[in-house]
Amino acid sequence: MRNEAIEDSLFVKVKVKAEEKEHIAAPASGMIADAWLRLRKNKAAVVALFILIAIILLAVFAPVFSKYSFSDTDYGSVFAQPNADHIFGADQFGRDMWVRIWMGTRISLMIAAVAAVLDLVVGVLYGAVSALLGGRVDAVMQRIIEVLVGIPHLIIVILFLMAFPAGVGTIIAALSITGWVNMARLVRAEILKLKSQEFVMASQVLGSSKFYIIMKDLIPNTVGVIVINVMFTIPNAIFTEAFLSFIGIGLAEPQASLGVLINGGYQVLQNYPHVLIFPAVVIVLIMVCFSVLGDGLRDAMDPQMRK
Amino acid sequence: MLKKRFTAFLLTLALAATAIPAGAAEASDQVLSVAVNAEIKTLVPWAASEENAFLVTNQAQEGLFRMDAENKPQPALCDTYEVSDDKLTYTFHLRDGIKWSNGDPITAGDFVFSWLKQMSAEATNGYSFIMTDYIVNGQEYSEGTAEADTVGVKALDDQTLEVQLKNPTPYFTNLCTMIMFFPVDEAFYESVGDQYALAPDSMVYSGPFTITEYDPAVGATFVKNDNYWDKDNVQISNAKVRVMKDAAAAFNAYQAGELSYVKLDSANVIANQNSEEFSQTIDFRSTYIQFNLTDPVVGNVNMRQAISHAIEREALTGFILADGSAPGTGLIADGMAGNAEGTFRELNGDVTSFDVDLAKEYYDKAVAELGSAPAEVKLLVADDSVSKSVATFLQSELDKNLGLKVAIDTKTVQGRSELMDSNNYQFAVTAWGADYDDAMTYLDLWTNGTPYRGNYTNDDYNALIADAKSQTDDAVRLDDMLQAEKLLVADDAVVAPIFHRGSAALTKSNVKNLIIHPIGVPMEFKYAYFE
Amino acid sequence: MVKYILKRLLFIFVTLWIIVTCTFFMMKQLPGTPFDAERFSIMTPAQQESMLEMYGLNDPVPVQYVKYIGNILHGDLGTSFSYVNQDVGSVIAGRLKPSALIGLQAVLIGLAIGLVLGILAAWKHNSGIDYLTMILAVLGVSVPNFVAAALLQYYIGLKWGILPIGFWTSWNCSVLPSIALSFSATAMVARFMRTEMLDVLDQDYIVTARAKGISQMQVLMRHAVKNSILPVVTILGPIVVNLMTGSLAVENIYSIPGIGSLFVDCIKANDYPVIMGITIFYAAFYMLVVLLVDLVYSMIDPRIRLTKGKED
Repeated sequence: MRNEAIEDSLFVKVKVKAEEKEHIAAPASGMIADAWLRLRKNKAAVVALFILIAIILLAVFAPVFSKYSFSDTDYGSVFAQPNADHIFGADQFGRDMWVRIWMGTRISLMIAAVAAVLDLVVGVLYGAVSALLGGRVDAVMQRIIEVLVGIPHLIIVILFLMAFPAGVGTIIAALSITGWVNMARLVRAEILKLKSQEFVMASQVLGSSKFYIIMKDLIPNTVGVIVINVMFTIPNAIFTEAFLSFIGIGLAEPQASLGVLINGGYQVLQNYPHVLIFPAVVIVLIMVCFSVLGDGLRDAMDPQMRK
Repeated sequence: MLKKRFTAFLLTLALAATAIPAGAAEASDQVLSVAVNAEIKTLVPWAASEENAFLVTNQAQEGLFRMDAENKPQPALCDTYEVSDDKLTYTFHLRDGIKWSNGDPITAGDFVFSWLKQMSAEATNGYSFIMTDYIVNGQEYSEGTAEADTVGVKALDDQTLEVQLKNPTPYFTNLCTMIMFFPVDEAFYESVGDQYALAPDSMVYSGPFTITEYDPAVGATFVKNDNYWDKDNVQISNAKVRVMKDAAAAFNAYQAGELSYVKLDSANVIANQNSEEFSQTIDFRSTYIQFNLTDPVVGNVNMRQAISHAIEREALTGFILADGSAPGTGLIADGMAGNAEGTFRELNGDVTSFDVDLAKEYYDKAVAELGSAPAEVKLLVADDSVSKSVATFLQSELDKNLGLKVAIDTKTVQGRSELMDSNNYQFAVTAWGADYDDAMTYLDLWTNGTPYRGNYTNDDYNALIADAKSQTDDAVRLDDMLQAEKLLVADDAVVAPIFHRGSAALTKSNVKNLIIHPIGVPMEFKYAYFE
Repeated sequence: MVKYILKRLLFIFVTLWIIVTCTFFMMKQLPGTPFDAERFSIMTPAQQESMLEMYGLNDPVPVQYVKYIGNILHGDLGTSFSYVNQDVGSVIAGRLKPSALIGLQAVLIGLAIGLVLGILAAWKHNSGIDYLTMILAVLGVSVPNFVAAALLQYYIGLKWGILPIGFWTSWNCSVLPSIALSFSATAMVARFMRTEMLDVLDQDYIVTARAKGISQMQVLMRHAVKNSILPVVTILGPIVVNLMTGSLAVENIYSIPGIGSLFVDCIKANDYPVIMGITIFYAAFYMLVVLLVDLVYSMIDPRIRLTKGKED
C-alpha cells in the first residue's frame, strides 16, 4: 500500500538556527519590563513608588545637609514649634526633629533592607532547595519549618532582645530567626507548582537541561512571588522595630528610630503634638506606600490576581 | 435596603456604646485617687521593696510612729516612750485600746513578731540591714548564730515594747515610720500562712484605712478603718491607688478628673509649672560621680577636683532634666535633717561648685603631676534614660571646660554594678537614695574601702564616722558628719555630686493636705481632705 | 481525621518543647542574678541562700531544666520571683479575663465592620465605597496600633470625654482598647472579603441566578455572601497573632491588667518563671487556634480534605 506519488526524498529537513526555535515575532518583553508596563498604569502604585524614593533620598541626604546633628542639644529651643530653623520643630532636648526623623527613617529602612536581604537569601534558598531536592531532605526541612511557624514570632524577638544588649544589630538578629520562614514556604510551594506545569514539561521535551530549566523556567517565574513577599516583609520589619522601641525594649535614646521618636512624642502629646505627629506620619507613609506598591506589584506580576 | 440595615447596625453599635452608664462617675465623688507607675507586686511586709508597696501599706498599716508634714516622726500606735541615759534602750508604751481591723488588740508581741521576721532568713526585701545594723544581736540572728530571745526587741507586756540598740541612734524613731517596722497580727498570720497579704481578706489592718480590693496590676481600693484609734481625724472615707504604667496615660487620666494627684515627667513639667495645681519636692536621692581612686588618671586628686568643678550643674537640672531636680553642690540631699538652725545642706554649704577657672587650675596641676594630659577617660553609666542624658551632658561639659575627652560606656544596671565591684572602671555615674532622714545613710558607705566605693580608705574619715556612731551628744555627732562630708567631697573629691532628684506633681485644687514624703513612705492619705 | 489531629497535636508538643528549651537556656545566660542586684547583694548569706533555695536556683542548670520540664508536665509552672508566694499559673490566670475580653471584642468588631465593608466594596465595585474601603484597609494595617491607641485615648477619652481613658472598672473601659486593637483585624477582613466576593460574583452561577431574574439583594445575600464568607475563617490565625502582639502595647497605654502588660512588665523585672509561663501560653494558644481554624475550615468546606495529600 505504498503511495507511489509521494517519495521520502520529497521531504527536506529544514535547518533552523537554535536561537530561532523560540522566536517570537513581536518585540520580546521580559517579565520585569512587562510588569513595569502594567505597574505604570496603576497610578496609586506609581505615586507610592515615588513617595518611597523621596523618603529614601531624604533619609540618606537630609541629615547630611542639615546644620544640626541628631544628637546635638540646644536648650534654647526645647520643644520648639515647627519654624524656619527647625522645620519639624525640636524635642525635649532641643534636638532638631527634622534630622532626628530622617535618622530614624534611616534606621528603620536599614532594618527593613536587612530583613529583605535575609528573606531573599535564606528564605529563597531554603524554599528552593527544599522543593528541588524533594524526598527525605524536603521532609526534614518541612518539619523544621512547621516548628518555626508555630512560634509566635514577636515573642521570640522579645526574648532574644532580653538576652542580648539592645541595639540595631540585636533587633536584626532577632528578626532573622523567624523572618524568612514565610518566604521559604511560599517559594517552595511556587516551585512545586511550577515543576508540574505544562511549560516545564514542554521545555523538558525540547531537551533542555535540568540547570537550564531551573535558571530559565523556574526561577524567573517565582520572581513575582518573591518580590511581592519582600514588599510585605519590609513594612513588617519596620513595624516590629517601632513596636519594640515603643514598649521600651528595643532601641533607646539617644538613637533615634521611629519607634523611639513616637514613644517620646506620645509622652508629650498633650502639650507638644508635633513631636508625635511628624514621626507618626512618616512611619504611616512608609507602611502605606509599601503596601500599596506591594499590591500594585502583585497585580502587575501575577495577572491572575488582577481584579 | 442593605444601606438601611447597615445604618441601623451602626446606630445599634453607637447606642450600645452610650447606653451603659459611665463607670467613671462613681470615681469622681470624693474618692482620693492616686496613680503609681508600676505594679504593686507584693504587700508581704518582709518581701516588699518597692516604693509603691510602701505607699499602699502606709495607708493601711501603722507603726510606732507616723511621719508628719515636716517629715518628723509623731507618736502613732505608741503613746509615749522613754530613752535610757546611754541612749541605747528605748521603751515604747502602746496606746490603750488599739485594735486590728478584725477587732483583735494590737500588742507589743505583734511588733516583736514582724521585726523578727524582717531580720530572719525569710526576709527577701533586702531591708534587714535597717534593723540588724541597730538592734542588739539582730545581725547574729539574721545569720542564724543567735536565738530569737537574745535579740534586743522584747515585749515586756502587751503594751510595752523594749528595744536595745548597739549604738546611740538619734534617728531611730524616724526608722520606726518605715513599713518594715509596722506590726503584723501574729495570730492572724498563723491562720493564713503563706497566703498572707496576697488578697485584701488575707490581711488585717492597723492603719487609717482598710484595703477592700487589691490586684497587683490594678491597684488598691481603701475605705476608712473604723477600728483605727485616730479615726476622728481621718477625713477621707474612700481612696484608691491605681496602677498606670504609662506616664502619658496617667497625665491624661488626671486631666479627665480620674486622678487627684499625678506625678509629671520633665516634658509636662515645662508646660505645667505655672499651674496652681503644680508642686515639686526634692527626693532624698543624690546622683553623683564615683571616682576609682586606684585608677592612674582619676586617682589624682587634682584631676578629680578639676572634673568636679567643671560641671555646670544648674544647666543640667534647668534644661536637661527639667523635672524639679536640684543641682548637687553636696552629697547629702537638700532638706535632710541637720539641727534646729537648718538642714544639713544649709549648715555645710556648698562643698563643691562650678568654677571653670578653678577647674582649669586643678586640671593643669593634675596634668603636670601625671606628666601628660590623658587622651581619654571612660565614664561608666547605667542604661536608663536619665543616666544616659547625664552622661551625655558630662561628656560635653568636660570637653568644653577642660578639653578632656570622655568615652561613655553604657551597661545595664547589673552590668555596671559588676564592673564596679570588680574594680574595673575609671569613674561612674551612680546614685544613692536615703533610707532614713539622716546624713549617716550616705556617709556610712565610704568606710569600708570597697572598689564599689572607689577604694577610699582614709583613717580620719573613718574616725569621724566611728565617733558619730557612738556619740551621745547630738551636736558633736552632727559636727562629725559635717566634717566627714567636707572631707569626702571638698578635700578628697572621692565623689562629685551631680544632682538631687526632684519630683514634680499636679494635685487637684480641691484636695488639701495630701502629704508627700521625700523618703521612706511616699505619701500620707491620713491627713488629706476635700474642700 | 482523628489521626490528623493527633499528628498536629504531636507537632504542637514538639514545638512547645523546643520553645521551652530555648527560652530556658537563654534565660540562664543572662548576666547577674534574677533578683534586684542591689537588694540581693545587701542580704545576708542566709537570706540569699534561702531565696535561691526557694526558687530552686541552687541546682546545676541541667538539673534545674529537668526539674522544670517535670513540673510543667504536672501543670506546675513554678513560683513568680516578683509576685511573692504566687504561682505562675495563677498569676497568668488572673490576667486572662481582660485580655480575652478585649481580644474577643476586637475580633467581633473586626468581623462585623470588615465583612460589611468588604461586601459593600465588592458589590459596588469601583465605586466610592470601594475606594474608601481599600483606603481604610491599607490604613488599617499601616497605622501602628500603638499610635492608634494613643490618639484614641487622647481624643475620644480625654478631649471628648466619651469613654474612660483607661483602668479596668467597668465594661466601658474595654471599648477603646478593643477598637484600637480591631483596626488591623477590620482591615484584613475587609480586604479578604472583598477579594473573595469579587471572585464569587464572577462565577457562572451568579450570572445564571441574575439571568433567572432574582433580585440583586437576593443574589447578593443568598449566593454571593454565603459562598464567600467561609474562607474568612482562614485568616483568623494571622488576626489572632496581631491581637496578641497588639495587646502588649495597648494594655499598657490603657492600664489594663492583662497578659500583654504582664509580659512586658515581667521582662523588665527579669521575672523568668512568669516570662516562661506566658511564652508557653502564647505559643500553645496560637498553635491551637491555627489547628482549630484548619479543622473548622475542613468541616465547612468539603473541597478541603485534611487526611489526604499535602496542603500544597
